[in-house]
Amino acid sequence: MTAAFARSLAIAMMALASLFLLAPLVVIALSSLSPTPVFDLPLGGASLRWYAALGSLDGLWPALFLSLEIAILSTAVSLAIGTLAGIAIVRRIVPGADILAAAATSPLMMPGLVLGIALLQYFRSLGLVQTWTSLLLAHLVVTLPFVARTMIAGLSRFDFTLIDAARTLGCSFMSSIWRVMVPALAPAYLIAALFSFLASMDNYPVSIFLTDARAKTLPVKMLQYIEESPDPSIAALSTLILVATLTLLLVADRTIGLHRLAGLEG
Amino acid sequence: MGRSVEPAVTPHVAVTSLSKRFGASTVLDRVDLSVERGALVTLLGPSGCGKTTLLRLIAGLTAPDEGSIVIGGVDVTRMPPHKRNVGVVFQSYALFPHLTVAGNVSFGLKGKSLSRAEMAAKVQRALSLVQMERFGDRPVRALSGGQQQRVALARALAVEPNVLLFDEALSALDRNLRETMQIELRRLLKDIDATAIFVTHDQDEALTMSDKVAVMNAGRIEQFDDPVRLYARPRSLFTTRFVGVSSELRGTVAARQAGQLRIDTPQGPVLAEGDLPTGAAAVVSIRPENVAIGASDDQERNRIEGRVRSVIFQGPRSRVAVDVGASADFIVEVGGISTPPSPGDAIVLSWPASRSFAFADARQAA
Amino acid sequence: MSRALEEAAAPPRLAFRAPQFSAGVLLALPAVLILVVLYAVPLARLMASSFVGPSGLGFEAYDRILGDPYGRSLVWNSVRLGALTTVVALIVGYPAAFGLAFARGALRSLFLASLFLPLAASVIVKSFAWSTLMRSHGVVNGVLMTLHLTHAPIRLLFTQFSLISGAVNIFLPFMILPIYTVVAQIDPILTEAAATLGASPARAFMRVVAPLSLPGVVAGVSIVFSLSVSAYVVPTLLMGESYPTLATTIARAFLLLRDPALGSAAGAILMAIGLVVVVLSRRFGEGDVGR
Repeated sequence: MTAAFARSLAIAMMALASLFLLAPLVVIALSSLSPTPVFDLPLGGASLRWYAALGSLDGLWPALFLSLEIAILSTAVSLAIGTLAGIAIVRRIVPGADILAAAATSPLMMPGLVLGIALLQYFRSLGLVQTWTSLLLAHLVVTLPFVARTMIAGLSRFDFTLIDAARTLGCSFMSSIWRVMVPALAPAYLIAALFSFLASMDNYPVSIFLTDARAKTLPVKMLQYIEESPDPSIAALSTLILVATLTLLLVADRTIGLHRLAGLEG
Repeated sequence: MGRSVEPAVTPHVAVTSLSKRFGASTVLDRVDLSVERGALVTLLGPSGCGKTTLLRLIAGLTAPDEGSIVIGGVDVTRMPPHKRNVGVVFQSYALFPHLTVAGNVSFGLKGKSLSRAEMAAKVQRALSLVQMERFGDRPVRALSGGQQQRVALARALAVEPNVLLFDEALSALDRNLRETMQIELRRLLKDIDATAIFVTHDQDEALTMSDKVAVMNAGRIEQFDDPVRLYARPRSLFTTRFVGVSSELRGTVAARQAGQLRIDTPQGPVLAEGDLPTGAAAVVSIRPENVAIGASDDQERNRIEGRVRSVIFQGPRSRVAVDVGASADFIVEVGGISTPPSPGDAIVLSWPASRSFAFADARQAA
Repeated sequence: MSRALEEAAAPPRLAFRAPQFSAGVLLALPAVLILVVLYAVPLARLMASSFVGPSGLGFEAYDRILGDPYGRSLVWNSVRLGALTTVVALIVGYPAAFGLAFARGALRSLFLASLFLPLAASVIVKSFAWSTLMRSHGVVNGVLMTLHLTHAPIRLLFTQFSLISGAVNIFLPFMILPIYTVVAQIDPILTEAAATLGASPARAFMRVVAPLSLPGVVAGVSIVFSLSVSAYVVPTLLMGESYPTLATTIARAFLLLRDPALGSAAGAILMAIGLVVVVLSRRFGEGDVGR
């Protein structure tokens, strides 16, 4: 086998993987056009009724807003906290920097369900029953590792003498972070924000234990839909989300390049 | 143009009419080069002249569009690099980060059916050549730049290659270390009777290390000579300018007499070595150390007048810049003992006609 | 003069003149608080509570899982799901990651988009879509019959095949991306060096590229195994009740059965598996911080 043949084989494998990964998304998009209330491919003919029906779905919009709220807030807080901790870790000005880095990224490998039940019992024992607060706190733990991983990688490539320069020009430490580092690390922030936002929006294992009958997050609501009456309205919703994400990816590719999202420079 | 003069033995590396194009640009244009066994040859030139491409073609890392490459009597033009038995030392050293020093050095020896004892012996021998015997078990990441460079060299030597290729291998070292390495490397390579080709843009390095230097420009070899002849008898304007410092005068060829040219310049008539037709536009060049201050009656010497613009004291010598009415100042070197002139002085300069060279002026004087 | 330059070149100290690391501690404090209060403490409590049964302290809950054939089958099902998914994802993902690294320009962007886009679709909807594909009159059967590989529709729904293939579909990006990140950063000059030392392209791959790709493989395997061993949505939607795992047991124990001890025990076992993965991945991979 020559090197050129192996190369073509590898690219073919990736192409197959791409098709494999896109298959369910195609099914979702096509199912959203189904003329019948069956979540299936539109063999009879296409219909947009499910998109129209989105507006009147029971309990969908509150769930969507709750998920958005939690996702945006937890992402924002994690970005701030994760950046500060990332600086301390990368500059090694905190004892046990390596351990802290490992600890901050380890929730990624901890089963979400385990975290969910652990937090459920913990919050109950503290008397915290308010859904909104417990969801927000839980999602901080969900989003922080994504931010930590991306920011540590991005910060280790950042030239800190730029902060020195800003401080000699009259900025305080915090002010120079805000005015010099944040703009320079913009791609890293975008990536971290994107991943943690998605992780929060799509989180089921942690959220399921902390929601109740009145307040549900979007994934919890969707699973309920599917188990009770799976009609194509969720396909319509998912397709809209997919289109929005596709647009976001296009913009990201034009501005910073998609390979940056994978963690590569240049 | 580029052939060595009457090789006494069959060249060990022979490149014939080698051409390489990248898209629309020709990076190498029908280049010929012969390197004798045991010779240390340098490819010298500015960036973009094709020297690295030529080296990579010899190594087999790129394929030529035309021409042939013969190493040790074998035509390797179509042979992949892993069959050519060439050793390459890269600018970034390219040490395998997941292997120790010994792991790197023994890399090329695996798969040659050697016993473990034999392999260990070869590794130790290669390491001792570069004085790194005690570093065998170290991970390469822990080494300094100079140490990594030695390991890279030991790794290339261990397989006992036909020819060693150095791709700007010393440029990543700091100046003192680089100068030490130049001398050490030459001594080592001569001791083991290796054939080596260096690529560098540093002319001092080329002159220090090589038996012969090939000055390259825009894909061609301008001159292939030993360092002394290259410096003292440059055969093109490019070579004169690239190797060493020279002062220049512009003019037109007025007459040809006894192997020399008389050239009329704004500074007066000047005699120089060269072969150009009468009426041709010419550039005359002369090295600073060959210019003397003060008038001379010797008919063999040229003479011009000017005014001292600056004097730079450099310890054992001083560099005097003289405004002679040309586009650039005339540079004169004055020895340490004599008192250099002062800025503003009117001054007369003279030099022997046999030490200055006239070349065609590709660009008409403005 | 040179001392001042030396100091300027050193990493910047912060304005407060207290013990050197106090500023760093302040910076890291919020994150440490979250990790301790919202992560370490709850997990420790979970671990502790798994030892509390109806008759006081003991291994009662663990007995219910590990001492019982049904309980052991839960553990086995979980590990099996994790292992099979990881192996298949590795076999597909390893060459695919290289393919991604070789691709340039528009093709590379297309490939990357196909990896990122599925992350934006909810795992719930994707799993359900997968089950749609597996139906008797679904696409897969349709293709098989068109190619005359089978005459009648095969029952794919609620089979191990649809479970594993569905899990691989969901988790494949998490295998490809870490391997790609590592592979794309391998300096091509290393394969050139290997070639000049006599290694054919195949041997250069085996002895240089493959070992250097290992940290990416470890990362991918760790993440995919963790995710699939603890997956809840995928087995629930693709297998229903017929493939009980530790994850499905946890959910049922807390949400339906009101049996926190059982749920905690299952959770503790799952957490132990998670910890093993974390430790092994640090042992075999590389943790680079600030370098």
